[in-house]
Amino acid sequence: MPNTEYIITLCDGPSCIHKGSRTVKDALEEAIAKHNMQDKVKIHLSGCLGMCSKGPIVIVNPGYTIYGSVTEADAAEIIEQHLINGKYVTRLVVDEDHLYNRFFRIFGDNDFFGKQMRITLRNCGIIDPENIDDYLSLRGYEALAKVLTELTPKDVIDEVKTSGLRGRGGGGFPTGVKWDFTANAPGDERYVICNADEGDPGAFMDRSAIEGDPHTILEGMAIAGYAIGSTKGIVYIRAEYPLAIKRLEKAIEDASKNNLLGDNILGSEFSFDIEIRLGAGAFVCGEETALIHSIEGSRGMPRPRPPYPSVKGLFGKPTLINNVETWANIPVIILDGGKWFSSIGTETSKGTKVFAVAGMVKNTGLVEVPMGTTLRNIVYDIGGGIEGGGKFKAIQTGGPSGGCLPEEYLDTKVDYESLAAVGSIMGSGGMIVIDEHSCMVDVAKFFLEFTQDESCGKCTPCREGTKRMLEILTRITQGKGKPGDIEKLERLGTMAQRSSLCGLGQSAPNPVLSTIKNFRQEYEDHIFNKKCVAGVCGALLTYTIIEKCVGCGACKRVCPTNAISGTRKQLHTIDQDACIKCGQCYDTCKFEAITKA
Amino acid sequence: MLTPLEIIKKKRAEAVSRIISKGYLSTKRVYVGMATCEIAAGSKEVMDVFTEAVSKGLTDVYLSQKGCAGRCNLEPTVEVVEEGKIPVKYGKVNKERALEIVDRHLKNGQVIKEWLI
Repeated sequence: MPNTEYIITLCDGPSCIHKGSRTVKDALEEAIAKHNMQDKVKIHLSGCLGMCSKGPIVIVNPGYTIYGSVTEADAAEIIEQHLINGKYVTRLVVDEDHLYNRFFRIFGDNDFFGKQMRITLRNCGIIDPENIDDYLSLRGYEALAKVLTELTPKDVIDEVKTSGLRGRGGGGFPTGVKWDFTANAPGDERYVICNADEGDPGAFMDRSAIEGDPHTILEGMAIAGYAIGSTKGIVYIRAEYPLAIKRLEKAIEDASKNNLLGDNILGSEFSFDIEIRLGAGAFVCGEETALIHSIEGSRGMPRPRPPYPSVKGLFGKPTLINNVETWANIPVIILDGGKWFSSIGTETSKGTKVFAVAGMVKNTGLVEVPMGTTLRNIVYDIGGGIEGGGKFKAIQTGGPSGGCLPEEYLDTKVDYESLAAVGSIMGSGGMIVIDEHSCMVDVAKFFLEFTQDESCGKCTPCREGTKRMLEILTRITQGKGKPGDIEKLERLGTMAQRSSLCGLGQSAPNPVLSTIKNFRQEYEDHIFNKKCVAGVCGALLTYTIIEKCVGCGACKRVCPTNAISGTRKQLHTIDQDACIKCGQCYDTCKFEAITKA
Repeated sequence: MLTPLEIIKKKRAEAVSRIISKGYLSTKRVYVGMATCEIAAGSKEVMDVFTEAVSKGLTDVYLSQKGCAGRCNLEPTVEVVEEGKIPVKYGKVNKERALEIVDRHLKNGQVIKEWLI
């Protein structure tokens, strides 16, 4: 932006488009051109801004003035009045103080951020997480105060039910229903637990949420405590998140000092304390019953459900467990309304979801978008496309237990049902973009290595099944695959899915089964043709020196088995029997004279 | 007796005035990313540069840490927010860039366009 003085953000969400935002855009551009201001004004299209009832929305920056219900005719007036005369077009100004999308004020004019909508991460990156004043100044703890002043516990549960919020840890169970179950379970004492045992490799949204805005989690938990009649909250967080723990401790201390936690919160009858329990980092402890065992001091292993924790949880008492991201939504639902929340997203999945986008994509990072956004939007519009100009091959959603989806599924909407329908999961929201340089058998092996290692060992199909599957996959990548291996993988995978107790075993075969389903040809190439098309599986590669060779001898010097021969300034050759396929010659050659296939 | 809602509104007003008394209304507000990811990318050094500049007499600057905004491959990030101007977001800020941001942007009001996100 060379000499940009104004950035006009135009909501390009479906509702605003329907109400004519595209013609408003044309009218704005026309007015800008009329006044010769093309160099000074940049128009930026954003994702849905959540103010659908006031659409089309136009935001003028600097100043972050929000104009609503803008018509084609108003466009010229905004340019002339606001940009040229410096006066607000008062009748169009929307003066609403929402909790969601706070970050937009600072980050909204950027493509990566501007296409997002942030509810969970609304304060992340704009406030000092260690200063409670920053949180208070942005209506922090107002939701808790509102609940204590105006709502009965039943009202709170109803509001959460109205919102349609579902568990963000991966299960997708309706949050309000869970609260209701726990509130109505018989028992004198109840617990509220925050599951911050984020273990998926590549997923870090919970850590970011806690490190960026810890009070939101505490406020959400306290509201739940009031709603279900609990006085005790526990945050179960893994010890390998030291900064998140430190900030959480500080937040609990500051909140207690301000009478926002502890006895008689804000002068009311309600008392609620939160303590932190550290997990040692076992992946299975993210499963709620294993997590409860871990807090109780037992070995972290799942147990059969029912009874669900909402009836018989921590120390046998009714227990409400929600994930970090779920908790962060609660204050917004209370202040901006469950009805508003339910207007965002799809029929069955409401609100937004944070994804940790990684892999071969230009813009890696945390992306929070309304449910129902397509994978293509995330990878290309926000992620900026494939890094290094390669070709898209697959996207792995849901962390190590998710499935790999090929290009034809890019228009799949991200919500619980749509992802399940195509053989993947929402999971915790990991999203890894894979390009043509990755071998899908190798990818499946990588994820299975993780889940196999993390299997707690309780159920035989998970303990033994994943082990045998990993052995078969390893064999295939080493060129020792046998006819029938694919079928054996499918049988073992399906068995582990069907007969494991918890989510770990039920989902661990997903990467294998989905790659077999979507990339079967690659498995067959490995087994029958002894080929790895992506050029990843070392044992299946043949290194050859081609005509481009200038005979410099660099490859000959690095070869550990002396497999390369040739006279100086002459074409060299590789003795295939002696070659151990280490790839050092390939990396060393400066003339691209060595090929691998 | 005050209701919880009235109490929280009072607390908010107090919080706002405390933030203002720390110089929030200064012309430029500088936010440095200080989450695990940002720190791993080197943001502590960057923070030190700004802290030192302020302690050595750089005025009209409100310096604050922040969590991560989620722009992983451009971290550490630093934002300079000024009333009446478009918020400026810098990416991949290291010690050298931070020193230049202090000199050129904070002291002389010159936005360094090449480093914008």
